[in-house]
Amino acid sequence: MRSRSGWSLTVHALLLAAALMMVVPLVWIVLTAFKERNEVFSQVPQWLPAHPTFNNFLGVLDAMPFWQYYWNTIVVAFGILAIQVVTITLAAYAFARMQFWGRDVLFILLLVQLMIAPQSTVIQNYITVTRLGLLDTKLAIMAPYLASAFGTFLLRQTFKGIPKELEEAAALDGCGTLRFLLYVAIPLALPGYLAFGLVSITYHWNEFFWPLVVTETTGSRTLTLGLGIFAQTAEGSADWTMLMAMTLMVIAVPLAAFLLFQRRFINSFMQSGLGG
Amino acid sequence: MVGRAPAVTVKHREMRNERRGRQPLLPLLRPYLYLLPTFSFLFIFTHWPILRTFYVSFFKWNMATPKMEFVGLANYAQAWNASLFWEVLRNNLVFAAGTVPLTLALALALALLINQKIRGLAIYRALLFYPTMIPMAAAAMIWLWILTPNYGLLNYYGKWLGLPDVHWLGHSKLAIWALVMVGVWKRVGYYMVIYLAGLQVIPDYLYEAARIEGAGPWQRFWRVTFPLVSPTSFFVGVMAVIDAFQAIDQVYLMTGGGPGNATNLFIFYIYQNAFRFFDFGYGSAISAILFLILLGLTLLVFRTLHRKVHYA
Repeated sequence: MRSRSGWSLTVHALLLAAALMMVVPLVWIVLTAFKERNEVFSQVPQWLPAHPTFNNFLGVLDAMPFWQYYWNTIVVAFGILAIQVVTITLAAYAFARMQFWGRDVLFILLLVQLMIAPQSTVIQNYITVTRLGLLDTKLAIMAPYLASAFGTFLLRQTFKGIPKELEEAAALDGCGTLRFLLYVAIPLALPGYLAFGLVSITYHWNEFFWPLVVTETTGSRTLTLGLGIFAQTAEGSADWTMLMAMTLMVIAVPLAAFLLFQRRFINSFMQSGLGG
Repeated sequence: MVGRAPAVTVKHREMRNERRGRQPLLPLLRPYLYLLPTFSFLFIFTHWPILRTFYVSFFKWNMATPKMEFVGLANYAQAWNASLFWEVLRNNLVFAAGTVPLTLALALALALLINQKIRGLAIYRALLFYPTMIPMAAAAMIWLWILTPNYGLLNYYGKWLGLPDVHWLGHSKLAIWALVMVGVWKRVGYYMVIYLAGLQVIPDYLYEAARIEGAGPWQRFWRVTFPLVSPTSFFVGVMAVIDAFQAIDQVYLMTGGGPGNATNLFIFYIYQNAFRFFDFGYGSAISAILFLILLGLTLLVFRTLHRKVHYA
């Protein structure tokens, strides 16, 4: 019994140490964000702000079109998801429940998207987006992601699990394929949609490189870009308190969502690993 | 009666043929209609760019030569002869060799700890996983601040851990290890969760059997756990290598590839050539090389995934 509690104490100690390593950077930036500008320039780290202030957050709103970036990010992340839901539903349904010529070849062509790194085709996609006249628009950021092999793969598994008899019974009652999809298959697959949605939104909320390549003005730039660009300006790179305030403003909502729905997020990301 | 039976069959067959003949076009086309949106996007933004990247890589196409000019393998020869290309490749290998084993070992260790049935599990898991949720751009900002010379946390507390008191990101040897540190911090929670999924399918009776045979915790790990999570390890390992070859945000935001080119990694090198020097021909050639490297690694994963399915 004693060795048992000794063991669990060791486990707690190790996990606590690891968790501290992970969380100290976050605590540090939160505290920094509430400090006065010059307070951070001390040789010995001062953890607590001497005179806690919100000025850094207000300063961020003055220094850049923060809400514009926020709106752009929402449009991009949710816009991608909205279109993806349509494309992956139709494709997954076809792959899961229909027999047709060329199915296997098409499925492999779909999986190609999982196999290639999007960064390796960035030049060509930049050229394509430019030729389509989309450069420096939110649609340019969204364009390469409107079809999703991962989402199709995930939903296909769920759709495959729906018993054939259910579809046949529905067909006897005069329920066509589209109606069956809308009223039976999609409701049954809601957990799959949720898992995919969480991963997709997180990925596109966080994305930096592709938006960097295809945007030029604040009208289309997302939050991560606003942050990155601010950090590379002369005043931004010297103003740690404001930079940390902005970092905090960028991550606050996703982080809060994660803490509230921790289980769902982690399960979704688990599936993203297993799905490719 | 005996004579009628075939007649029924024939008639039945005729009916079936008739039905097939009358089959309207829509049901035949339906699967293709369902696939059309996905495959239009896939073709424009995935298949076509791959082919086109290889095609363009055989052309000279830059600021000085705005009209594409066929040059055969010249762009590849340019890469072969550029010492910077090899430096970038070596940097990326160092970065992968630094991040991958460390991330895997830590992720597995943390997954084993989390997998013990202890109190406060959800809190630990959340604290270890949250860096996965935040943008790499935000992580880069956090670490820029922590790594700042004179005022940063790392130099002050790093002394306790025996770390040198230097300007990490300005140091030609250490800068890449600062990026490794950020990479491990950002990814370890994600791989921990994947390991957790792998650990949870190991049946309890194997551990009980090992315990009855008198195996201690150490032996149970090496004889039961380690071999049984090895498919996960392999999968996670290759994924992590692919990740390492795709790293760009932290390079762009934290070091800009410097000092010198000490942290210039593959994607950043592509970015520089294509979008700063506007050399699309050469940029495409190195993209094609990266594409082949990553494709090789990914095929490896897919093959083992297949094997994993067979095991189950």
